[in-house]
Amino acid sequence: MAKGNNHPAGEKKNAVWSFFASVRLTVFLLIVIAVTSILGTLIPQQEEAQRIMRDMPPALVSTLQALQLFDMYHSVWFLLLLLLLAVNLTVCSLNRFPHTWRLFQSARSREPSSRLEGGAADRIFTAGGTPARVAGEVEGLLRRKFRRVRRTEEGGVVTLHGEKGAFSYFGVYVIHASILIILAGAIIGSLSGFDGYVNIPEGGTVDTVKLRGGQGTRKLDFAVRCDRFAVEFYDNGMPKEYRSDLVFLKDGQVVKEGSLTVNHPIEFRGIRFYQASYGNQPGAALLTVMDGRGGKKLLKVSAGDQFELGGRKAAVSVLRIEENLMNMGPAVKLGIMSEEGGVAFWVFNRIREIEEANPGITKQVPQFNPAVFKPFYFSLGGVESAYFTGLQVSTDPGVPVVATGAMLMVAGFMMIFFFSHRQVWVRVEGRGSGSRVRIVGRCSRDPAALQRDMDTLAEVERSKSAQEKSFQ
Amino acid sequence: MNTVILNWVTFIFFGAAVFYFIHMLRGGEFWGKAATVTAFAGIAAQTVALILRWVESYHMGIGHVPLSNLYESLVFFAWTVMLLYLIMEWRIRSRSAGPFVTPFAFLLMAYASISPNISGQIQPLIPALKSNWLTSHVMTCFMGYASFAIAGGLGFMYLVKGDDGGGREGPSKSFRRFLPSRDDLDELIYQCAILGFIFLTLGIITGAVWAHYAWGRYWGWDPKETWSLITWFVYAAMLHSRYVRGWRGRRMAVMAIVGLFCVLVTYLGVNYLPGLHSYIKS
Repeated sequence: MAKGNNHPAGEKKNAVWSFFASVRLTVFLLIVIAVTSILGTLIPQQEEAQRIMRDMPPALVSTLQALQLFDMYHSVWFLLLLLLLAVNLTVCSLNRFPHTWRLFQSARSREPSSRLEGGAADRIFTAGGTPARVAGEVEGLLRRKFRRVRRTEEGGVVTLHGEKGAFSYFGVYVIHASILIILAGAIIGSLSGFDGYVNIPEGGTVDTVKLRGGQGTRKLDFAVRCDRFAVEFYDNGMPKEYRSDLVFLKDGQVVKEGSLTVNHPIEFRGIRFYQASYGNQPGAALLTVMDGRGGKKLLKVSAGDQFELGGRKAAVSVLRIEENLMNMGPAVKLGIMSEEGGVAFWVFNRIREIEEANPGITKQVPQFNPAVFKPFYFSLGGVESAYFTGLQVSTDPGVPVVATGAMLMVAGFMMIFFFSHRQVWVRVEGRGSGSRVRIVGRCSRDPAALQRDMDTLAEVERSKSAQEKSFQ
Repeated sequence: MNTVILNWVTFIFFGAAVFYFIHMLRGGEFWGKAATVTAFAGIAAQTVALILRWVESYHMGIGHVPLSNLYESLVFFAWTVMLLYLIMEWRIRSRSAGPFVTPFAFLLMAYASISPNISGQIQPLIPALKSNWLTSHVMTCFMGYASFAIAGGLGFMYLVKGDDGGGREGPSKSFRRFLPSRDDLDELIYQCAILGFIFLTLGIITGAVWAHYAWGRYWGWDPKETWSLITWFVYAAMLHSRYVRGWRGRRMAVMAIVGLFCVLVTYLGVNYLPGLHSYIKS
């Protein structure tokens, strides 16, 4: 990350290019996207918006709709801002890359001695031993600390150059590329993936899911059955686990079975199923049919079931099952087709209480009369409550791309912040019976690390020489 | 037991903050040492309490890392702020940031201990939180938050120090000389912002991975997700302005404070917005 690096490539500079190559634009876009994003966290989005729209003044609703603020993260203008940021990022990176490349190249081929001219140095000390010997020790230390070490010797003066971490100049490009890759992954996901949901009652089978954002439905090329849904609770009443036992069927054949819990999705043929919600819905109804001649039959029926009535040619369909119809308790709507035509009516569980509260109601409202299809009489023992499981169903081919981008981003951060381009030049020349050592250092960032590098060189050099002296 | 210790930690942090203030206003090694020792005692007691709480949850048969509700997150937030501060104090060999950072840790602990809406009880994990990603997601996020909190504290410090070169005489002048130089403050703000930015990035990535497994999408513009991205953008803008446009000093300090505001909205503010990250409400 070179400082003050407004060094454009120079060649292809026109107004459009310069506009997109400006970091001022980057900062502007970042702030605009950040500020506009706030709107979407204040205004309810998508399904949430549908719910509150009714309570809002129509003028406000139409304004917000015109600005696409009820789904702003997918609005044209927001996507345009993201696109601008992507273009800005690309142009900025392309614009600066040649400069960084030259920096990288020159860093690795710099004449080692040039830094030491003029006598200035970050560290100077004298060590015992001939220049060749001292230089040998320094070189050993340098090789431990630096990836690339070069040694030149001229007239008894040894010059050493240690260099490492020049690759960290490219970290910023890795990060910028990772952002573009993540955006590409998001585009792949939104074009070729889908995001839907479906509720399956216990025992039920589905092969179609509703798409989010009111985009219709999608038929799967297999079916899913939920054999059982269970909620476990802790002792204090908090939910512990939601579990759906799912069966995946292809052409009526069981292909896969599994237990679905939150945080542990099941994948089948590239489509992932997530435990998203659950709820209660009326399940089976316990129906008693009396044929008026003392005959009595107990039936357990579900919505959509059909059965025949003995004695008469009549087919009964269970049209609806309600746990609490209009606050009058459990009820089942039956439809009966016979030679005399069709009739439909409700059978209430609490028919006695209803009649007491509204005397004569069954006469006035034939739909509430359980004896409307003579000579039969129906009564409802109760409605069982059944769970349904709410599944999130999605597939997103962009995920591996986004994951790659995320990993690259972390790698880029490590390149930039955990590494820096550091170089030291060391000149060792004879001075009296010992050697004079001069060290010059330079770094792209993190001067403290460079100081530590130079400290190690200097200190260990001193102590080693001192030891040698005492042995001599 | 652990909540008793944690209540005490609140007072210890208060004591540390007071000592740091006295040290700033009067100077002198005694108050400085007292502040550091108190802060150390506080974080040691807090660490013990967190471990006890962790162990206790296993005795209750609902063992989980103490990072699962608002109370635990506030305590952990205070812990990371204090930890990072003490590391910084040791690295830069200066206690000058103490008065601007330790009160934040105290306020977090006080909020956790006093607020009637926050229960200190150990609660079992709801199904959505039962994931191996809980620890890495929460830890990275709070390391990021804590770095940003320190950067924000240093930002305030920079503004208190002021841009003046001298000439202004006032009662505050006396302690301003104890504050680090503007260049040092600028460098520290920058370092903390970078550290926070890296951890926030990791927090967002681990969160995305978790959301992929729990909710079926890695990104869904949930308010907390959106605000974390807003925060990320603010710090990205801050770092780019510095790298490329050469922003220094006051502007950086202001950005650090704006960033800290975004962090607080991401952490607490979004609880008042509808969304999926609702575990933290009680």
